[in-house]
Amino acid sequence: MSALLEIDDLAVDFVREGRVAARAVRGINLELATGEALGVVGETGCGKTVTGLSILRMLPATARTSGRIVFDGREVLALPEDELRDLRGRRISMVFQSPATSFNPVFPLGRQLQHVAERHLGIGRRASERLVVERLREVELPDPERTMRLYPHELSGGMLQRAMIAMAILCRPSLLIADEPTTALDVTLAEQILRLLRSLQREHGFAVFFISHDLDLVGDFCDRVAVLYAGRVVESGPAAVMLAEPRHPYTRALLSALPRRGRPGTPLEAVPGNVPTGLEEPTGCAFAPRCPLAEDRCTSAPPHLAPIGAGRSVACYRWEDA
Amino acid sequence: MSAAADWASAAAAAPEARAGVLRALRRDPVALAASTLLALVVLTTLLAPVIAPYPGQGRGTADVAARDLAPGAAHLFGTDHLGRDMLSRVIMGSRPALGSAAAVVVLAVLIGVPLGLAAGYFGGKVDEGLMRLTDLFLSFPPLLLAMVIAALLGPSLVHAVVALAISWWPWYARLARTVAQSLRHAPFVDAARVFGVRAPAILARHVLRNALTPILVQATVDAGTVILAIGSLSFLGLGSQPPLPDWGLMVSDGRTTVLTEWWIATFPGLAIFVVALGFNLLGDALRDVLDPRSGR
Repeated sequence: MSALLEIDDLAVDFVREGRVAARAVRGINLELATGEALGVVGETGCGKTVTGLSILRMLPATARTSGRIVFDGREVLALPEDELRDLRGRRISMVFQSPATSFNPVFPLGRQLQHVAERHLGIGRRASERLVVERLREVELPDPERTMRLYPHELSGGMLQRAMIAMAILCRPSLLIADEPTTALDVTLAEQILRLLRSLQREHGFAVFFISHDLDLVGDFCDRVAVLYAGRVVESGPAAVMLAEPRHPYTRALLSALPRRGRPGTPLEAVPGNVPTGLEEPTGCAFAPRCPLAEDRCTSAPPHLAPIGAGRSVACYRWEDA
Repeated sequence: MSAAADWASAAAAAPEARAGVLRALRRDPVALAASTLLALVVLTTLLAPVIAPYPGQGRGTADVAARDLAPGAAHLFGTDHLGRDMLSRVIMGSRPALGSAAAVVVLAVLIGVPLGLAAGYFGGKVDEGLMRLTDLFLSFPPLLLAMVIAALLGPSLVHAVVALAISWWPWYARLARTVAQSLRHAPFVDAARVFGVRAPAILARHVLRNALTPILVQATVDAGTVILAIGSLSFLGLGSQPPLPDWGLMVSDGRTTVLTEWWIATFPGLAIFVVALGFNLLGDALRDVLDPRSGR
């Protein structure tokens, strides 16, 4: 089966005054099958959001992108503007981290969803209203007819995120990019939103590109996980096995830094050191300076992502010791 | 990011603020006075031929027998050199004054706002090009431009309006550009882009809607300034031509005899003053009420 989304050697640099100011993504390969949920995990600055945005070509003008992104047989990075706009919101849509600012405060919620429906489906105001009510019901918002007339500030964060999801699934997309969709919400709300996303995904079969810094969350939600570090994939594989038995020291460090995994009474673990800044090009493994297992070869030549069986890949010389 | 958050919190109050605008205006005594005054002026303008005691004279018919009469029971504001009732002239004069002010402001908004929105939203070369054009137009002194146009096409109120609109639109372009610039990366504008909304639709729905408040305030204040400018042009003979009842023209008529027949220049001058002041005060009050940061 061919992949729905194929990211091939994607690299993104940000330039300032003609010079490369930051290298956000340094050659990423990812694949996403129809209906699959892929978790993309890493610390701030590892390139996960940049990767997500480049699928929609939403990066700022200062970004220089290379590589290929193929969605449903079409080369996204080479697509003309108008075809790209037809893709956005209709075939590929996105749920943002902060629903509160993602709606225009001066319009009622429903109108903003209707705009999108009218734009993509070529339907009139009546039909779009019916569609919006239906979608708001699907995301389990109470009293959709009334809710759609409310202004964004009259809704709670959780309700807004549900509305955001309703907008994202308005045109039945085949790919949903979720950029930390629960980070701005309470823990209990986050659970509900995830449960909602999962049931919608099961029912409608869209693929999810799930960006998060929380490995546990991703493990619950996704079929496969890719861990990013300094703009590269360091480990990928099926979620369940990978989280039970991480093979890259960075994945391991991320997991033990989760409060839920720590034992009561023991100090919370942190990954020592910092993510390398966007410009320097390490001669070896980018994680080596923070890695407990680092040895000489780690700093002299970078390890490449290599399959280790069971659908897993790791970019580490010492994965067997991790 | 903080600018966006700041903006979002400010705008979140918008719908409520709008509902409360009239109430807030009523609470402010200056605003109340200004809006009452302007309401009366607009009413007068609409009903001018009905209210004016001598509508014919107001339009320009002379009555040579009653020349230069001082204010009295028959003529509250006196009569001018051609025996026309000054009260009727002043009342009828509100029509060209308010009409031309509205025309200038509407033209300036129609030209300036779309250009400014495009410049601010697209940025880069579009912005650069449009703003240099704006600077070019700003560098014409309005009065000089009006003189050139009057010299080329002949003096008339319409030409004065065109001349003023040409030198006025750049201010609206700059205003709209500022708003568009601050919103081009607002999260909800990015969200609209992510959902495939076209740039013109984003501008019309999301950006223009948020620019309306400052534009409304600016237009209100400008209406007063335009009335002054039209008055000046007519006074200089570059605007309305006799026998049109124009306040600037009337002041000009009365200026040589202002020490003897003081009423001829005084009453139309007062009319200009009062209306311009009214627009200015209302504009200021609107700014206070509509700006969510002013803490009402």
